Amino acid sequence: MREAPEALALAERARAAASGDEVDVLVQAERSGFARYANSIVHQPTLVEDSTVTVRVVRDGRVGSVSTNRTTDEGLREAAERAGRAADLARPDPGFPGLAEPEPTPDVDAWDEETAALGPEGLAERAWTAIDGAGELGLYGYVTAGLTEIAVSSSTGLAVSQALTDATVVALAAGEGLSGYANATSGAIGGLDPGATAREAAEVAARTRGAGELEAGTYRAVLSPVAFGELVWYFGWSSLGALSLLEGRSHVAGRIGEQLFSERFTLRDDGLDPDGLPKAFDFEGVPKQPVTLVEEGVARDVVWDRRTGKRAGRESTGHALAPPSQAYGPLPFNLVVTPGNATEDELAQLVGDGIYVTRLHYVNVVDGREGVFTGMTRDGTFLIEGGRVTRPLSNLRFSTSFPELAATLLGLGREVRLVNASDFYDERYPYGTRVPAVATERFTITGTGSGPGL
Amino acid sequence: MRELPRTAVDHALHAGARYADARAVVRRSQTVATRNREPDTLADGETEGLGVRVLVGGAWGFACDPRLSPAGAEAAARRAVEFARASAAHGGESLDLVPVAPAHGEYATPPGDDPVDVPLDDKLALCLEAEEGLVRPGIAVTSAFVRALRETRSFASSEGADTLQTLWECGAGIDALARGDDGRIQSRSYPSAHGGSSAQAGWEHVVSLGLAAEAPRIAEEALALLDADPCPAGVTTLVLDSEQTGLQLHESVGHPVELDRIFGTEAAYAGTSWVGADAAGSLRYGSELMNVVADPTTPSGLGTFGWDDEGVAARRETIVEAGVLRGFLSSRESAARLGAGSGGSMRADGWSRMPLVRMTNLHLEPGQGSLEELLADVDDGILMATNKSWSIDDKRLNFQFGTEVAWEIKRGRRTRLLRDATYTGRTPAFWASLDAVAGPDEWRLHGLTNCGKGQPGQHAHVSHGASPTRFRGVQVGPSS
Repeated sequence: MREAPEALALAERARAAASGDEVDVLVQAERSGFARYANSIVHQPTLVEDSTVTVRVVRDGRVGSVSTNRTTDEGLREAAERAGRAADLARPDPGFPGLAEPEPTPDVDAWDEETAALGPEGLAERAWTAIDGAGELGLYGYVTAGLTEIAVSSSTGLAVSQALTDATVVALAAGEGLSGYANATSGAIGGLDPGATAREAAEVAARTRGAGELEAGTYRAVLSPVAFGELVWYFGWSSLGALSLLEGRSHVAGRIGEQLFSERFTLRDDGLDPDGLPKAFDFEGVPKQPVTLVEEGVARDVVWDRRTGKRAGRESTGHALAPPSQAYGPLPFNLVVTPGNATEDELAQLVGDGIYVTRLHYVNVVDGREGVFTGMTRDGTFLIEGGRVTRPLSNLRFSTSFPELAATLLGLGREVRLVNASDFYDERYPYGTRVPAVATERFTITGTGSGPGL
Repeated sequence: MRELPRTAVDHALHAGARYADARAVVRRSQTVATRNREPDTLADGETEGLGVRVLVGGAWGFACDPRLSPAGAEAAARRAVEFARASAAHGGESLDLVPVAPAHGEYATPPGDDPVDVPLDDKLALCLEAEEGLVRPGIAVTSAFVRALRETRSFASSEGADTLQTLWECGAGIDALARGDDGRIQSRSYPSAHGGSSAQAGWEHVVSLGLAAEAPRIAEEALALLDADPCPAGVTTLVLDSEQTGLQLHESVGHPVELDRIFGTEAAYAGTSWVGADAAGSLRYGSELMNVVADPTTPSGLGTFGWDDEGVAARRETIVEAGVLRGFLSSRESAARLGAGSGGSMRADGWSRMPLVRMTNLHLEPGQGSLEELLADVDDGILMATNKSWSIDDKRLNFQFGTEVAWEIKRGRRTRLLRDATYTGRTPAFWASLDAVAGPDEWRLHGLTNCGKGQPGQHAHVSHGASPTRFRGVQVGPSS
């Protein structure tokens, strides 16, 4: 595994500056670039470089936490002192589980030298390759590559670090009245072919001209890996973390052990998956453990961090978030759906008459307990007639139950794709879902929106 | 800090930029949250750095550096020019910026009690006191939070702009989750879900929210919702409280009039717009009761400033007048491309992101009368309050919103409580159905901190002022 010695050294410098019954320090460092393009022009190229140090001090059961990106000795000392003062002013926190003890760290390979070294010229070159791939259509999206370093140093003796690389190309090929979408993500820039991704988007777009409307109703549907991956992510975010389980907000609360989904549906979170965006440990320094969340349709478990683990008498599975997001509870960042054996053509045949969805837009949780999400389809929605993808459709509003969708799976694709799930807000942290396309009996459409295109 | 943007701009020009601007930002932010009457989050963060934006030929470049030092300024400028030059290597459009007089001066949030300096223990005490009011049988989860932010921004451009701004924000909120014996749940929040309500103001804003006083009502409503009937499906008269009206305004008016969306530069993620660039003066956006302004001078607004992140001075602009589109939210680049306006809506999230066209403070101007008078003219309808879910299509036409609470309206009066209410529509038809806006006494300012846009993503803090509104012939229904 590629460690991050500079980040760990920074964490240890900050820890040395702090005093308390217990102290831990988290470092998140980023060096990344975005070659963002629109209308086939690179228009918002952005380079980001930063290191955030979070110092947590525990005194008499009181916890104070301070973050800074001032990495000078003075900056670290001031942050450590503020964290100590915060602990002194805080009240006892009975839910605090203490700091993680050292454990053997899994050996995962998430590093690519070429990606880490990629500079502005390399990013811009790949952006122009993508733009060329879209041909006559305008291209919108980005090529990004980045290096992320995570390190945790604790007074318990914990000292772990990891360097991760990731790269994504997003391609929306569009013109007046037509648009198509494709994306690709990898731990290595060499694993991407921006021109091919743009061509895929352009090929989808070419089939969207003259889109028709569709009456509201519940339809059979094929969801592409990109579309299904987004729904899986939202289900994981709203229902598969321990806090939502313990508070009864999760769809699986009170239902662990029950057959909630199709026997075809098996869902894991696997931070060690070499084909995903692997991570050795979470933001508390706890080793990542694979967790079976749904096994052949039966709800089995959720993911845990140390605080929720203490509350429920469970061990952390290595899914803590970084402060201050820890308030959301632990979340699954490496969801993997077990594939089936169908091609996308065969999935369409399973559907018979229904719709094909390339991509979703503005998904939101309407009812987390029932797993109901709303959003729009866009950039490649088609009718399936007689087992074949035929005519284009306008963008459709769906308001659908994910559990119902996953309970009525007709089949799953044999090809699994890694779908980036990060929109790169705040500090960079690569994550995504590895999912196949699926065919389902129930995808509920409640209205029609705008047509394809700009 | 004051000199560093100028230093960065000079380095960028020396490296070959034809235009450059730079921002040095120091941000201190705090969040204190309690959950089930125990400490949950005590976060105190600081971040600082410098972002440099350059134009080389027809191409932009942006780079940043966390070091507030001459070396950091030089490194960021050099890398921004390098990226712009690489991006321009394969061609690019000619690009102009609408002329503005170089800005000079200082601006600060009007004096109040600096919310960052309020002791941590006081913040914790306020949360715990507010939570106490939520506690009762059947309430499974209670939570409260306060947030505070202080940000200093120093800006310079190659045209001679030189400004310094210090802004404060604070906000707070409470949430109650009620759970029935059968596992059903309902939640209520105050003053809104998704992060309460914030303002550019001193600590007195947090105190004025009266969280502890409102808590019993919120808890009781959450419990009552467990036994409420679901919102019936149908086409009916819809009355929205001022908070939901503000979010409706945000999603279906604010975003569609952002010129970068209209010109397609946000197409891949946020989307485009159903509004054309040539629509000002001719497009009927809604009924004659619809009057919308963008106003970065609004006292306490989260989008209030002296100058935007291109150095354009804050000024109030009409967006919709008597239902007709009059203006856009723009940058200097998009205004030049349109041939109208002069920017003023460019904002960046901190120091490590490129400025984008963003909302500032977008308001629906008040009409007349009270909420009760709006209800009095409804024979059969639904009143919805406090946003719960939101979604709108990539051109900002088809939307669906859900609210935490609703009431049936019968013969002019609020009657039974309803749960799981949603409504859906298409933007121009919906705003055309606006037939009443309550008056100034009902007008409230709501501050949001979670408006997402851009790649890499950026959060914008914006405020919306609105009074309750009434719409005829709207599709409503239950959430599932």
